[in-house]
Amino acid sequence: MSPQEYVIETRSLGKHFGRKRALDALDLAIPRGGVHAIVGANGAGKSTLFRILLGFMPPTTGEARILGRNSQQLRPEDRGRIGFVNEEHTLPVWMRVAELTAMQSRHYSNWNQAGFDQVIGHYRLLPDQRVGELSRGERAGLNLALALAQSPELLVLDEPTLGLDVVAKRAFLESLLYREAASECTVIYCSHQMEEIERVADNLIILEQGQLRHMSAPDDFRARVSHWVADIPFAGPPTASVPGLLQWQRIDGLQHYLVLDQDEGFAEFLRASGARSIQSMPVSLDRAVNGVLSRDHAAPPPAV
Amino acid sequence: MWDLFKAELQRFRFWCLAYASLHLLILGFLTRVVDLAQQPLLVYRSIAAVYALSGLLFGLYQLGNYRRSNTWLQLLHRPLPHWRIAVALAAASVLLLLIAVALPVLVIAIWQKTMTARVVDLRHWLLPVSAILIATSAYLAAGYAVLGGRRFAISGLILLGLLLASDAAGFGALLIQLLALLWLAALLMLAFKPDLSASPRSPLALIAVALPLQMAIYCALVMVCFGVELLWIMQGSHPNNSTPPAGGFVEANKAAPADLLSAGLAVSARSEAALWQEQIALSEVFQVFREFERLPQRHSLSNLSPMEFDDNERGERWVFSHDRMRFRGYRLSDGKGVGEMGATTANAEFTTPALPIGSLPGFAKDDALLMTANGLYQYQARSRTTLPRFQLPSAERFAATPSLVGESIAILSDRALYIVDGRSVSENEDLIAPRLSIPLPGAIGNLTRIDLIELVDGYLISFTYTSTAHNARVDPYQEIVQVHDDGATEPVARRVLAMDYPTWHRYELWWLSPAMHSLYQGATQLFVADSPLLRIDKPAVPLSMRWLAATLAVLSMSLVLLLSRGLVLTRSRRLAWAAAAALIGLPALISFWLLHGGKERG
Repeated sequence: MSPQEYVIETRSLGKHFGRKRALDALDLAIPRGGVHAIVGANGAGKSTLFRILLGFMPPTTGEARILGRNSQQLRPEDRGRIGFVNEEHTLPVWMRVAELTAMQSRHYSNWNQAGFDQVIGHYRLLPDQRVGELSRGERAGLNLALALAQSPELLVLDEPTLGLDVVAKRAFLESLLYREAASECTVIYCSHQMEEIERVADNLIILEQGQLRHMSAPDDFRARVSHWVADIPFAGPPTASVPGLLQWQRIDGLQHYLVLDQDEGFAEFLRASGARSIQSMPVSLDRAVNGVLSRDHAAPPPAV
Repeated sequence: MWDLFKAELQRFRFWCLAYASLHLLILGFLTRVVDLAQQPLLVYRSIAAVYALSGLLFGLYQLGNYRRSNTWLQLLHRPLPHWRIAVALAAASVLLLLIAVALPVLVIAIWQKTMTARVVDLRHWLLPVSAILIATSAYLAAGYAVLGGRRFAISGLILLGLLLASDAAGFGALLIQLLALLWLAALLMLAFKPDLSASPRSPLALIAVALPLQMAIYCALVMVCFGVELLWIMQGSHPNNSTPPAGGFVEANKAAPADLLSAGLAVSARSEAALWQEQIALSEVFQVFREFERLPQRHSLSNLSPMEFDDNERGERWVFSHDRMRFRGYRLSDGKGVGEMGATTANAEFTTPALPIGSLPGFAKDDALLMTANGLYQYQARSRTTLPRFQLPSAERFAATPSLVGESIAILSDRALYIVDGRSVSENEDLIAPRLSIPLPGAIGNLTRIDLIELVDGYLISFTYTSTAHNARVDPYQEIVQVHDDGATEPVARRVLAMDYPTWHRYELWWLSPAMHSLYQGATQLFVADSPLLRIDKPAVPLSMRWLAATLAVLSMSLVLLLSRGLVLTRSRRLAWAAAAALIGLPALISFWLLHGGKERG
């Protein structure tokens, strides 16, 4: 795949805040088209990555390119090709909906009024309402409508549904999913909501401690994680010896293992460890991602 | 860009109109009570401070809100060059300040011009211009402080300090304000970019950022020295708040007139010294002090003091007009104009602005004394005319208002002390010729006090040159001369006064950074007409202080080279910083650390 076919490309990208490494030699290449979900625990470096990609923060090391251009040298016309929606939906609260829409339409040469109307139709907004009078969900919808109407080649959504109630969240996702323009651009969707990601994402990117942990289709990733329940008398095998172990729990005398990239060979391992009965089951995307992200999660040292 | 401009106007329109209305209300009230065009300097400075504070708070609020991470991204991530976004916001803000700050001033000036007989000169029409320049500069300084680097951007405020420290008047003051505004606008433009942490890239941008920063650091270092002096005062051994050291200039400044004359005579080799000592004890000692560093300048925006006087008998007020260079009068009872009054009965223009300075013994009840740069005039209420009464040589300037010395009057200029006969003031209406003319033995800018007694034949006069000795602008001394009635002058004694302060303290403004010291002097005197009243006999900087400054410069340069190791800096920029440190010293070193010290090392 040629570099022009990547909407985002980073090479050894690092960002250090003092001794903390928000991004640690991140190599990432996101192809054009589709919806790419970026997930990661708080502090994984997602927001830092977006700020560097949009030229609002310099990298400490390495290079980041967005739509083929060095992110630190973005030109105004490049910005016109990139839509961005942040979690706070920071729109000018003193402006009326119609005024804000008119202003944005004049700023973007490829403004798609029909597309705007289509998205905003999911919300009951009045043109003369001030942005400051809108609910958080309505503001999120307006923000998405404005971003999509710009006809961007790349749309970055940074936790856009954060703080929205169930109804507003559904309205937001529907307006994103059933919008024609959304299918014409590459969408980077950053969220902690796995059910949203399952609905919208074609590609799942997991960041952990500033590094790329995983990139594949969500179903492929979910298939890599399996849940095994074994009836093993006594303590079972030492966790350090369990291959691909993500999580281990003992519930009602049964050993629960969440493991990565294990096939039937894992059953053999359990049997060899004294398992009298073994049961394997698939996991939800939420459980899979949670398992991967919590494996090396910082935790207080065990009490002595 | 136009949309952002309109949006910003819309955002603040109600606040702007509310401010403008309140502002107009306050000015309207004040103008009914006093003539706002004739207030002393302190009043204008206070009003300017309010405008500056308004601009500052506005900038902090507006751009402080935009600076929040996501808001900043939302504002700048659009297909517009960020400088155009900055121009849109700044232009809207200037328009808002224009309406809130300058427009009410203009309305009041128009009201005063059209509805009253008060004087409204060109300089008053320039006050709204000055107001908007000051408010805008403060807005820009706040914007730069908010958006520029956290470690150094507060330094933009030093350019507001320049407005206060500058000695420029009239159009010169406006030019200084414009210069500060343009510099601050450039700083805001440099700071207004997506990556707020990025350092200035071009050499010119770096100089634009570094120079005010270094001046701010220099001023901060001076304040640290002042803090040390405060500790000295608290400790109780400071010359100014304890018994002054014997034979020093502080003692001379504080001495009773007779004691000072007596101390000066003590070093005299003259045979009459002992006799004069006895005479001092029996005589009244008169004093003359230097009062002016500058005289009123034509078209200056403010006044040293109100340029008006009242003729109570006629119930008239006479106000000097800089445009007409004459006084214009109006009745106090109904505010109706009563005409113009120039110099002499010919109603000629005064050569320089005329300042009412009270009266003189021998003047009729409502007569007033008017002072131009080198002429004294008597306003004669009886004839409603001005009469020239005293004229200095054309190159000389008054350094003080006339003061009584027994039955005579002492008139101090920048070159000489004149004694005129007090009776001649009342006996005729002619130009008074000085009875005695005593050349000053030193520079007027260093003169602190003159103490004199009458002798049978003339005067014994002590000149004390200690002004600004504490910061090494003179080597202090006292000089006593005898003046005979025929005008002949004989030296009596010259007493060198001790410095009282250690040399490092007296020269701290200099050795902290000779380059910044010169820049400060240059900046505050930019667009300033030379004033002979500020002439000083500045001594050469001692060798020890030159070594101290050189040591600091070498130390600064070495530390810059050391600190720059490992930083991502081009070789040429590293060398430029080292050269700047060698030239500027500590301020350059600290500015280097503030500008580059927080960066990641490569």
